Amino acid sequence: MSKLLAACLLAALAAPAQDARRIVEEVQRRSRAVSERYEGSLRVTNARGKVSEKRWRYDRLGSHGASKAVLRFTAPAEVKGVALLILNHPERSSDQWMWTPALERERRIALQDRRTRFFGTDFSFEDLEERDVAQYDYRLDGEEALDGAACWRLEARPRQAKISQYDRSLLWVRQDHYVFWRIENYRRGVLVRRVTYRDLEKVQGIWTARTIEMADLRENSRTVLRLEQLAYNLPLKDEAFTLQALRVE
Amino acid sequence: MRPSPYRRCAWSSALALAAAWPGFGQAFSQRGFVETRFVAYPQTAPGDRGRAVAEALLRYEAAWKPLPGWRFAGSFDARADTHRQVERAWDLAWQDRDLRRPAFAVRRLSATYRRGPLTFEAGKQFIRWGKTDLLNPTDRFAPRDYLAVVDKDFLGVTAARLTLEQKNDTLDVVWQPRFTPSRLPLLDQRWVVLPEVAVRDAGARYPGRSQFGWRWNRLGPGFEYSFSFFDGFHHLPVLEAQAQLKPFRVNVTRVYPRLRMYGADAAVPLKWVTVKAEAAWLTSSTQQADEYVLYVVQVERQSGEWFLVGGYAGEAVTAARRGFDFSPDRGLARALLAHAGYTIDATRSLALEAAIRDNGDGLWARFSYSQTLGQHWRATLSFSLIRGAAEDFLGQYRRNSHVSLALRYSF
Repeated sequence: MSKLLAACLLAALAAPAQDARRIVEEVQRRSRAVSERYEGSLRVTNARGKVSEKRWRYDRLGSHGASKAVLRFTAPAEVKGVALLILNHPERSSDQWMWTPALERERRIALQDRRTRFFGTDFSFEDLEERDVAQYDYRLDGEEALDGAACWRLEARPRQAKISQYDRSLLWVRQDHYVFWRIENYRRGVLVRRVTYRDLEKVQGIWTARTIEMADLRENSRTVLRLEQLAYNLPLKDEAFTLQALRVE
Repeated sequence: MRPSPYRRCAWSSALALAAAWPGFGQAFSQRGFVETRFVAYPQTAPGDRGRAVAEALLRYEAAWKPLPGWRFAGSFDARADTHRQVERAWDLAWQDRDLRRPAFAVRRLSATYRRGPLTFEAGKQFIRWGKTDLLNPTDRFAPRDYLAVVDKDFLGVTAARLTLEQKNDTLDVVWQPRFTPSRLPLLDQRWVVLPEVAVRDAGARYPGRSQFGWRWNRLGPGFEYSFSFFDGFHHLPVLEAQAQLKPFRVNVTRVYPRLRMYGADAAVPLKWVTVKAEAAWLTSSTQQADEYVLYVVQVERQSGEWFLVGGYAGEAVTAARRGFDFSPDRGLARALLAHAGYTIDATRSLALEAAIRDNGDGLWARFSYSQTLGQHWRATLSFSLIRGAAEDFLGQYRRNSHVSLALRYSF
């Protein structure tokens, strides 16, 4: 009897953590797609209010921990053709290579270099990875309405195998559609980047935020990414996500 | 003079591409830039009293994917300058064997076919090997334009390249039927420091044989390494000098020595820095050519808006012979090399590159400030400082420190 009581007590103590993980698992389950493609329109506004615009094409094969992605700039002309290959892994940080046409070479982006801004945007190389539920420990931190939508607020901390520039993230997940609605990333207790999601739409059965704003709070700059021509479950080929593909595509 | 078959081939290929233009549609992409560059040298040089050079370059690049797996890529350069570094002829160059830069050149024209793990590319293309950033001893299919020695640009090679990519392994096999040399500084200009005698270029003896090489690259979890082999000719020449009495002068013939290269490179990210190393043992059956090992070890780190690279390039001569060569890659060896970049914001950046010989006899440093102006324009202001002893490879150019301003419009 006492053993059963102890087990119930332990289960009750562990419940919030499990709930938090289940919420993120459900977010992943609902957003799972065989592939994804979109044309990204980026608007970068720096601390002085100066605006620059870029465009990239994003292709992804697989979902979350077992996915591959290629991101290729299409504008402005100066960076056209610059591409990033991301191989995401469920158990550890991704591998990334950047292809620069002017040099005719690819360069591996080392883990310690992932906090660097990606080509003048407010996204760091790490922010372009796909987060997998297994790489973080979660805790339910409460509930809160955000832009009129009821959200769960979760705290995520990277596990040891996941090397991250952020030691803690706060995630807001909409209770109606199980989508991320805001993410705040902290480094040494200081909020450094905030991701805000907007314009929620159901695309091929997947609720997707069509606008993502990344704010770099130290630089006081922000990048607004619009997902255009978004499509899921396209028949993308595995061979389009290799170093050779970076060179010849 | 009748245009060579190669020039006719290049013209007809370019025309064929242009003729097919309306059908390109969605599978066609293009880009390019127009750049004007002004270079000012505060000092005159013994062979060159000019202090200002203006250059203009139009580069146009296009790619067409007519069918799944197929890709045709072309790139075209048109140039002009004020200092006779560019040919004043209307020929379209394909081979890059002219002493001067051609006014019109096919920089690239290749067809690529991909199927599963295989990629095959044939035609004029760029092939880059190696992992280090400061000097690449294993980069044997990459001749360069050394007209202004410290501001070098790569030249394409006519080759067939087969690449097999299987999970973490990539095997690259290259066959280059026709040799492309590096372009050397002009004898009557400041980047050649001549003795007090008249020297005449007596032409070149180009190799008739093809070149071959392979490289196997392996990606590990967080590290990568490769081994490579090359059998062919050095794209930099040894110089054969013959004295002529009436009138007294020295005739110099460019001879490209046989070369066999055994190379390796690796990149290992550690906790704080990434260590990259590259080494090649270059052997030759040509009597005038040295045999040597060239190696580079560098560490790099990106932190915030900083990009920092520092390293050492070394050389160990395994067979010293008595040839006289022009060898900028060896000229940068036995030196500390550094590269630092800082991104001020989305539109402005700074860069510093430097090479300092370990005996202190030569120094080259270039500081650049670059700024984009709107969506299309970029201005880059650079200052190159060269100092050292007359006997040193870098030091011999000590009167060639210069300032340059480049204005580029990208489209």
